[in-house]
Amino acid sequence: MPSKKRSDNKKGKQSNFAKLSIFQPNKYKFKKSCPLSVKGAPVVDYKNIRLLKKYMSENGKILPSRITNVCQKKQRELSMSIKRARNLALI
Amino acid sequence: MNLYEHTIVARQDTSPSQIKQLTDKYSKIIEKNDGEIVQTEEWGLLNLAYVIKKNKKGSYIHFKIKGSGKIIDDLEKNESLDKNLLRYITVKVKKFDLEAKYFSKKDEYEKKDYKKEYNRD
Repeated sequence: MPSKKRSDNKKGKQSNFAKLSIFQPNKYKFKKSCPLSVKGAPVVDYKNIRLLKKYMSENGKILPSRITNVCQKKQRELSMSIKRARNLALI
Repeated sequence: MNLYEHTIVARQDTSPSQIKQLTDKYSKIIEKNDGEIVQTEEWGLLNLAYVIKKNKKGSYIHFKIKGSGKIIDDLEKNESLDKNLLRYITVKVKKFDLEAKYFSKKDEYEKKDYKKEYNRD
């Protein structure tokens, strides 16, 4: 019985530490601004294939915004214009 | 009055004279319906990303149209019957971007892109 309790305590501590490490320092490390809503950013357009290809995987899938850090509004524009370009067989 | 961007993809074996005929044919339809063509671009023969009706390449023609929605109805009616065309797309826009040419002058566009990236760093 006592051994089990100890193991429980250890687990609890570990998970607490893990949570701390997730929440405290990384919060500042991983926050990035959207690359498409900065001043002077290129316009999202279905003709601009070079731009669209940056936000697609090698297999032609649209990358999720949690990887590319694109804001929600621009992500919608991106997916719309990627689908238009697909229809025209540009991508 | 609305602003539309209209792109059509023709088969790979259409001759340049046939492409001219196509552009004339559709620009006449636009003018019939009291529309105005702001700009026409020919992107030339481009590689298709995937095979459409056994075509590996297609010649692209791009219109910028100012007018009412009736034009688009008439255009798409005719285009869906046209056997020389593979695809067509119409996009309603708020403003025309007349300066950016993504297809005609590839080298210049690359240079501009490179400069932008360089300035950011």
